[in-house]
Amino acid sequence: MLESLPASQWNAATAAHLLNRAGFGGSPREIENIRQMGLAKAVSWLVDYEKIPDETPAPDWAHPDPEVDARHEAIRKAADPETRRMLQEQENQEQNSQMADLRYWWVRRMALGPRPFQEKMTLFWHGHFATSYEKVRMPYFLWLQNETLRRHATGNFDDLLIAASEDPAMLLYLDGARSRKGNPNENFAREVMELFTLGEGHYTEQDIQQAAKAYTGWGLSEDHLHYQYHPYNHDDGPKTIFGQTGNLTGEEVLKLICAKPECAQFIARKIWRFFAQDQPSQPVVDALVDEFHGHNMDIKHLMKVIFLAKEFYAPDVIRSQIKSPVQWLIASTHQLQAPLPTQPMSLVMLRGLGEELFNPPNVKGWDGGIAWITTNNLLDRYNYAAALVEGDRVPLPGLKGQMKSLMNAMAEDGLMVIAPADVRSLFSTMELSDPMNFLAALQARFLNAELRPQRAASLADFLKSRSPLEDADIRKAIRLVMCTPEYQLT
Amino acid sequence: MKNPLLTTRRDFLRTTLLGGALSWTVPSFVAQTFSALHAEADGALTQTPTGTDGPILVLIQLAGGNDGLNAIVPYTNDFYYQARPTIAIPSGQVLTLNDTLGLNPAMTGFKSLFDAGQLSVVNGVGYPNPNRSHFRATEIWQTASDEDKYLSDGWLGRYFDNACQGCDPTVGINIGPRLPQAFSSHTPTGITLENPDSYRFIGTGKNDDETVAYRSMYAQQDDPLASSSANSGASVSMVSGTVMLQNGQSALDFLERTSMDAQVSSDKIREITSKTPSTSQYPRTALARNLQLVARLIAGGLPTRVFYVSQGGYDTHTGQRYGQDARLRELSEAVKAFTDDLTSMREFDRVMIMTFSEFGRRVHENGSQGTDHGAAAPMFLVGRHLKPGLLGAEPSLAPADLQDGDIKFNTDFRSVYASILQDWLKTNPVPILGRPFPTLPVVT
Repeated sequence: MLESLPASQWNAATAAHLLNRAGFGGSPREIENIRQMGLAKAVSWLVDYEKIPDETPAPDWAHPDPEVDARHEAIRKAADPETRRMLQEQENQEQNSQMADLRYWWVRRMALGPRPFQEKMTLFWHGHFATSYEKVRMPYFLWLQNETLRRHATGNFDDLLIAASEDPAMLLYLDGARSRKGNPNENFAREVMELFTLGEGHYTEQDIQQAAKAYTGWGLSEDHLHYQYHPYNHDDGPKTIFGQTGNLTGEEVLKLICAKPECAQFIARKIWRFFAQDQPSQPVVDALVDEFHGHNMDIKHLMKVIFLAKEFYAPDVIRSQIKSPVQWLIASTHQLQAPLPTQPMSLVMLRGLGEELFNPPNVKGWDGGIAWITTNNLLDRYNYAAALVEGDRVPLPGLKGQMKSLMNAMAEDGLMVIAPADVRSLFSTMELSDPMNFLAALQARFLNAELRPQRAASLADFLKSRSPLEDADIRKAIRLVMCTPEYQLT
Repeated sequence: MKNPLLTTRRDFLRTTLLGGALSWTVPSFVAQTFSALHAEADGALTQTPTGTDGPILVLIQLAGGNDGLNAIVPYTNDFYYQARPTIAIPSGQVLTLNDTLGLNPAMTGFKSLFDAGQLSVVNGVGYPNPNRSHFRATEIWQTASDEDKYLSDGWLGRYFDNACQGCDPTVGINIGPRLPQAFSSHTPTGITLENPDSYRFIGTGKNDDETVAYRSMYAQQDDPLASSSANSGASVSMVSGTVMLQNGQSALDFLERTSMDAQVSSDKIREITSKTPSTSQYPRTALARNLQLVARLIAGGLPTRVFYVSQGGYDTHTGQRYGQDARLRELSEAVKAFTDDLTSMREFDRVMIMTFSEFGRRVHENGSQGTDHGAAAPMFLVGRHLKPGLLGAEPSLAPADLQDGDIKFNTDFRSVYASILQDWLKTNPVPILGRPFPTLPVVT
């Protein structure tokens, strides 16, 4: 049993931590808002999000497209290679533009929507039930899966697993839609046990081969627009899984899997790692497993237990994680109180930093932790920080190629690609009056912690040389804080 | 310590104030200074393997599980044609290597390397109790572990730890977005690079005060003696983010170290790429572009021993002929362009290329014109100093000889690693691989 955080330890630091982990961070004012609520109310505000209306409209193209088969047929039957190429190109362009729209639609919802925790949880499930545009190719199906994950984000895990498994994007991504009686495809059968529920070592090769038979029959409708069960493709013979034999259906196999204690163990551990710390302690995981298993795999219950627990606010949890690129981007805009960069800029950044939504590196999703960081994308973080702070007021010589042409194209249309942050409004006159005051204010707003001494000294030297501070100096100083190892932690 | 001379103020500071954290918090060249100090004191300067004319290994990962049977086709084997009614490659189409084996018809570049005596194929490579999970199997290949052992460091990481202590961070270069586990090492070594043009800190505004401040945030540590005195060693652990992850590193140590390696290596790489423009023709594929960058870095004289590039798309559960053939064509054309480029720059003599994939695929095709995850498969080696042709026994496809429908291995992949480490990189493979493995006569 985990203990609740004592009220005496609920303060600006712990409130900031909760907002960082359950959501995507916040400005000092937003942190103060939830601090004033008190812990229980703050957790409820985040987790019981059903009470908060979210009327985010679906993207306008997000509906079944009855023409899609006809268009694909036209491409296949094109009279000559030139026409085929042209038609294919048109189709790709349309799909790519829908994908860009979908990615930004979600980033905006994470950054600006009324239910940050629902989006954070959906992001967790997106990495867990990973599917990729690279293989699925149908933006509508990826949106549909995103909505499925959002709908079940804090429900019962069994229901979520079945819904995610029968979702068209998953059927396409792990070849379930092509698996037939007599010739089952094992791709989904393997990954569901290895990656979605149990983890390696808790099943046999035979369990996979037998389970693959049970999932046959799941597929898409004739018009390829929605899920449909095809009884004539289903292998209704006996299967032996985990030593039990029966004419099991796919759903029944998934329920058998969920009932294994290793499933609660695997999911609770992964959730704690994502929301709390990379290296969990076993007693904490055990306590979470008891809660999760004891409450019928209810995800919402588990999340409340986590966010209320003293262990969640321990010194080795707070600021122990490396920000994901999505976290880095959105939390930065909150701290800068700046608008989210426009679509092309936001998407170029997320792709560059290694978290292009709907395109995880593989079926395992994103590894997270130190895997976010290489010499290459750390330099990218440092350079994109300049773009967030300076906007396109200052040319960024290194941001060439795609980024540059996008910026030029938007500038021709009279659009600001990214506005410079209004940095002076972030600080009081007092804070700006003295370099050391300003250094303290910078660290409070952007780190909730202190820089290591050598970097604090470098920054202090820079600020002393610039006194009194112009707006340009403030921007440079903020950018420099964002170019530190400390800033990459959350 | 062997030598009493080591008990100097420097050593005292290094061992007591910085302690084990040294390797995490100072850039590699500083650590190198220390190694040199040690070596000097020992009276025997150990040659670190970071010369600019030493041997180079270029590792190409074929991610997803490359089907060996449709890459090196047993075109006279009835079992092959029986097992694959829709996706077998007709015998008339293969690029013959000998009386029984031929290359996939898409691999014309490899065929010309084979004809020039610059390609060798190691048949039937695998390991006991093969794992069919992408991740676990990849991990086994990357860490060179036994099937039932879990290692966190990669086999190249252990090579860096063993043979390259104090080397420049560019001793290992990964071209691509993510650091492969093969590079994971006790002392983080190696860098990741995608686009050399933007691989640097970019200052804004007219004057460079911002860049100066950025450099000074890290530059103080150019001299660890100075900075350790200034910090008194104590405040470091007081900063948040110092929770230990693994190998005694905290996330903040890791980030700090990576920042410093990034700064040091970016200066060097920018200098090299600006003075060595590439003039050779390469195909317009990501793999070819990455190998072209490798060629420029080799020509520019980086002290790199290992380059790592990867190519995805080999997980051909469906429509394999379309997918795998296209990938193999990309691979074959890119490697051919790369070797042509190296030849024209007179660098091919010191480069060895090796491919690997986490597993081969099931002998029998599935119901979707594809193949499911399998076991043993061939590896390709390309270079001017290898025994060309076919190495290792060709595995039997007779149903009785298969293991759960998969090809049994004849050569342990660690034997190939051991051969490369010992005969190409000139280092003792035993501490790196944990125990001796028989080597193959592949390097000449």
